Amino acid sequence: MFGMLESGFQHFFWGNAVMLVIGGLLIYLAIAKKMEPLLLVPIGFGILLVNLPLGGIMDYDLQMRAPEAGKVLEVEMAEGDRFNEGDILIQLDSGEIATPVFGRVDQIKVSPGQQVEEGEVVARLTTMQQTDQDEIPTEPRGLLAKIFKFGVMWQVLPPLMFLCLGALTDFGPMLANPKTLLLGAAAQFGVYFAFFMALFFGFDLAEAASIGIIGGAEGPTTIYVTSILAPHIIGATAVACYSYMALVPIILPPVIKLLTTKQERQIYMKPQLREVSQLEKILFPVVTTVIVILFVPFSAPLMGCFMVGNLFRESGVTERLSNTAQTTLVDMLTIFLTLSIGATMPAENFLQPKTLLVLVLGVVAFATAAGAGVILAKIMNLFSKEKINPMIGAAGVSAVPMSARVVQVMGQKENPRNFLLMHAMGPNVAGAIGAAIAGGIFLGILA
Amino acid sequence: MIDWKLAAQIAGGGFGMVFLILAIIAVAVWLTYRAVNRPGKASPGKEEK
Repeated sequence: MFGMLESGFQHFFWGNAVMLVIGGLLIYLAIAKKMEPLLLVPIGFGILLVNLPLGGIMDYDLQMRAPEAGKVLEVEMAEGDRFNEGDILIQLDSGEIATPVFGRVDQIKVSPGQQVEEGEVVARLTTMQQTDQDEIPTEPRGLLAKIFKFGVMWQVLPPLMFLCLGALTDFGPMLANPKTLLLGAAAQFGVYFAFFMALFFGFDLAEAASIGIIGGAEGPTTIYVTSILAPHIIGATAVACYSYMALVPIILPPVIKLLTTKQERQIYMKPQLREVSQLEKILFPVVTTVIVILFVPFSAPLMGCFMVGNLFRESGVTERLSNTAQTTLVDMLTIFLTLSIGATMPAENFLQPKTLLVLVLGVVAFATAAGAGVILAKIMNLFSKEKINPMIGAAGVSAVPMSARVVQVMGQKENPRNFLLMHAMGPNVAGAIGAAIAGGIFLGILA
Repeated sequence: MIDWKLAAQIAGGGFGMVFLILAIIAVAVWLTYRAVNRPGKASPGKEEK
């Protein structure tokens, strides 16, 4: 009886082992080091699930069709065989049929000597690769494949996640000091720098934009843009973004120290910001929505959701909606989004030079974003009577509120009188708006 | 083959556009503050939430 039971061991290879270690490491960092646990635990577990062969949780069905009519000369693979992208599946007298993705063979529907017509299904394959549905249509079979396709690839979950973030965001510190919006804008330099670097390393425009947007340090924006422009690298960009958000305390300090003197880091800022009225807080999401979407219509799903979530919070009459968005809804979306994102990383997909390059470029994006914010803060100090501590520019790397906290901790170390958290929250939330705008601009040009 | 000219336009234009929009929002925020808290108005600011 047990001879009939197909176990995962025979399909397990070294790449799966490496990915199990990576998944385990993310779970360890989340639990032991408390690094973004709400994100890294489900992402890490998603990686575990998808790297246990035959689990099928992220499987897609792919009907392989003959690109042209011909007679089958040879069938190169048997049912159950694994294959990589570009492997020859069937030899026809008119040419070869190669696999467009990695995966395994479920069923071969032709035999040698058989005549096939153009477009006829010759094999049924299983893949875990995200594909461009216009070119290579697939049907989700596994649980997380379904969540991923209908939640992420249909661009449902990321905007809803942004709505929750809007409900969680207090724009008060930014409204009290609107100059900080410029610091959030400056930090978007990281997006465009990484975009150029990605092009330099051979990525195409759509892929480079998806890599660049990692520098916005906003998970939903990164996922949203990549799902439209370059779905095949969505696992890498999402994991890079979320992982580096967790690693902000490691990435930001060296950049800040490199670009500032001790005296600059000690610049004192009054801890008290002006009080912001409720009317200002209500008008802000409405006015911002109108301005941003008129300029960049493609940012509407993200910006519209972000701002309506914030209006729920500030209006004073939609407390129930605000509470739901801040608690239950954000938790549910986080589970669906992060678990399925983790599951986009089977070893065959992830352990590729290109993927590893995405991770490297992600760090570059974060570091240059922080650096650009710091430099603009220093430039602003040249023209301003009331100096700002240039460290708060680094908080333009959105990663709310992690980068603001890092600035606060560094500020206290340099000058124990300084309390920079609220000052840093300004560029921090401005960075989130800037990232959504940058994403919308990429989509408007490249989608 | 990468169209570097288009890439430069996307990067330069994109970054400029982000800056412009956030600068406009900054001005709008400042104008709102001035309008809401103009001198002579009864309650210049309510308590922060």
